[in-house]
Amino acid sequence: MNKKEFLTSLETRLKKLSNEEREDILQDFSEHFEVGKAEGKTEEEIAHSLGSPGQIGKEILASYYVDKVETSSSTTNIFKAVWAVIGLSFFNLVIVLGPFIALVSLIVAGWAIGASFVVSPILFLINIAVFPDAFMLFDLFFSITLCGLGLLLIVGMLYVSRISIKGFVKYLNYNVNLVKGGMNS
Amino acid sequence: MNIQFKKGALELCVLALLNKQDHYGYELVKKISDRIAISEGSVYPLLRRLKKEEYFTTYLQESQEGPSRKYYQLTDKGRDHLNDLLKEWEHFSEGVNHIIEEGVSHE
Repeated sequence: MNKKEFLTSLETRLKKLSNEEREDILQDFSEHFEVGKAEGKTEEEIAHSLGSPGQIGKEILASYYVDKVETSSSTTNIFKAVWAVIGLSFFNLVIVLGPFIALVSLIVAGWAIGASFVVSPILFLINIAVFPDAFMLFDLFFSITLCGLGLLLIVGMLYVSRISIKGFVKYLNYNVNLVKGGMNS
Repeated sequence: MNIQFKKGALELCVLALLNKQDHYGYELVKKISDRIAISEGSVYPLLRRLKKEEYFTTYLQESQEGPSRKYYQLTDKGRDHLNDLLKEWEHFSEGVNHIIEEGVSHE
């Protein structure tokens, strides 16, 4: 692979980045080639020691997506970041995907329970409408209590979701650092 | 050596090299790859990340041969970070050495 092929290959992988940032990265590598050539190396030798543009692109993209989640944590951003970090290595597949699935299930379950508690008085009313004979005061009060509990749970879940997202982004970041050469845990 | 392990040490190497004097990218890569087998391209993503963390700043300087070069200069924040990493590293390697000595001497 010569300099042009290397840079083109890297460029296609960095399409998602802003023009400015992509140019900056390509400039760094272009400089690397020029200095190497001035020292008498061939473009092929330099490209070979640099390693695969694919892997370099992956590393750059992963930290790009994680940065993006930090500024705005929309669902698509989070999924993109998770995916990008997983792409770094098999190690991350195990260590990122597992906790992510667990966390998402817990949050979804929490919301589902909260919501079903809140609607329980409505279910009670439907039950009365369908079977008027089945009216029991205990059921009424029980469903009202559940409704209150559900409301509390939902408010709680709001906080839990927000904190989990923040925590998980930190965890992602830690993983990127780990893979990309950080020792700061 | 294990890749994850090597990458962990890379950050420390970069910061340590910049502690003494400013370097440009190619120089940093060469100084590291002369001693440790790394895929050289992964140094650049690391440099970008550390710059974003404000551990160093960059400036361009003309050179006699070839295009101007981007130099990396350690900031105070970077120096503090280097000291933290050094402490961790010493603690870590001390522990590993201790375990190795114990394990190997009893064979």
